[in-house]
Amino acid sequence: MSTRMELASTVVEDAVSPGPSAGLAGSAGSSAIFEIQDLNVYYRDFHAVTDTSLNIYQNEITALIGPSGCGKSTVLRCLNRMNDLIDGARVEGRVTYHGIDLYGSSVDPVEVRRRVGMVFQKPNPFPKSIYENIVFGPRVAGWKGNFDDLVEETLVRAALWDEVKDKLENSAFDLSGGQQQRLCIARAIATSPDVVLMDEPCSALDPIATYRIETLMRELKKQYTIVVVTHNMQQAARVSDRTAFFSVDVGEEGQRTGRLVEYDMTDRVFTAPSMKETEDYITGRFG
Amino acid sequence: MSDQRPDFHAALKSLEETTLSMADKVEGMVAMAIRSLVNSDKTLVSQVIADDDVVDEIYMEIRSRWMNIMARQQPMGRDLRMMAAILEMNNTLERMGDQSVNIARIAGLTAGLPREETILAKLQEMGDLLKPMIRTAIDAFGRRDADECLLLPAMDVPVDVLNRSMWKHVVACGNDPQLLEWATRMILVSRALERVGDQAVDIGEQVAFLLTGDHQEFLRFHDYDAD
Repeated sequence: MSTRMELASTVVEDAVSPGPSAGLAGSAGSSAIFEIQDLNVYYRDFHAVTDTSLNIYQNEITALIGPSGCGKSTVLRCLNRMNDLIDGARVEGRVTYHGIDLYGSSVDPVEVRRRVGMVFQKPNPFPKSIYENIVFGPRVAGWKGNFDDLVEETLVRAALWDEVKDKLENSAFDLSGGQQQRLCIARAIATSPDVVLMDEPCSALDPIATYRIETLMRELKKQYTIVVVTHNMQQAARVSDRTAFFSVDVGEEGQRTGRLVEYDMTDRVFTAPSMKETEDYITGRFG
Repeated sequence: MSDQRPDFHAALKSLEETTLSMADKVEGMVAMAIRSLVNSDKTLVSQVIADDDVVDEIYMEIRSRWMNIMARQQPMGRDLRMMAAILEMNNTLERMGDQSVNIARIAGLTAGLPREETILAKLQEMGDLLKPMIRTAIDAFGRRDADECLLLPAMDVPVDVLNRSMWKHVVACGNDPQLLEWATRMILVSRALERVGDQAVDIGEQVAFLLTGDHQEFLRFHDYDAD
């Protein structure tokens, strides 16, 4: 996939390649796919996330962690403009994707979501066959190719092929929860994204299904960039290369605003974080 | 701030306290081993050996509780560093106990042999130097005191110097077979004491890791020697 893309109906000719990663220790050798600068997100009057700046690096797994209400899912949704779908949502600051302003006036949000796929907390396959779940997106996008090959290739990549190859016409609802989630991942990658966002992808799954998803994530990062929101710190520690810890500031009137506290290599965050607030959270001393 | 994992932190605190009590026991064993040698006291020899059985039991208990906490609690951050430090200290303290037994056993074996006062004085001096070293290492851990643990490498230097000088005192014992037997065994005592000094520095390194999150090796005698 070209890194200079057509997110809008016109080619963005003046897109610039992202420069050296913005001031994050340990980022040498990786290129930033997203650069988030001074991000503030509002839902009407509610200030959900404040002054967040961080880079997301290519072919890495980045974990966003923090307590409930810290804005980690909000930040995640900014990466494929899912917040646009929420009435009253407003995004300030700058989010670039391969150097292109994701919120630029000429950018097509639908194309953004094709390139930046998403997997949700609860497996949500379409009420269709396994086969149709995979081909639905590419077909809508007008993809011209061999759908059978696409289905096989995608399901192999999602580590689901061997389990479903003989029942592709069965309803997706016949699958177990873990299989449904892998189908959703397959569906997300069927449109050839280069980023997959995952919002609590394993919270509804049992440990074995969780293990399979985590194994799949490590495999997928060879081809895709993954950003995962998780409440499970052990999961973040197991799968991610970098971890961003968000916290919540509670205002005088009880309003809660998420704030990025620390962003570093995962090894560092879970063994010797720089910020006391991070240390207190990961060791369970908070609240 | 409230503690969201009180049971875990209580278990961790208890493990730390057990480690400190083991350290106190080992500190006493080292001192007792030297006394058993200097005073040719077989009662103290027996006491050191008996104490080592207690230390070995504590060692196994710490390992068992450590595994349990790791399996159940999956500590992170400073809790994880504390766990790492405790595991290392447990090993180090157990070996310090073993060194004390080595010294005490030699004290028992050589009790009837003629002795050379200079060598004995040097070994006593090494013991006197080790006493505050071990205490400093334990206190640095107990108080989370980075400054104290940084004192240890310099405190270890005279111990190493004394150990290196031991051979010439042994050679000076001449041709008396019995004195030579005693003296050559004192080289082993000197070596054991030198190791105890190194192990106190090892504890200091664990404290530094606990406090900073960075693995670091302190400068040792041979590093100074190279200058």
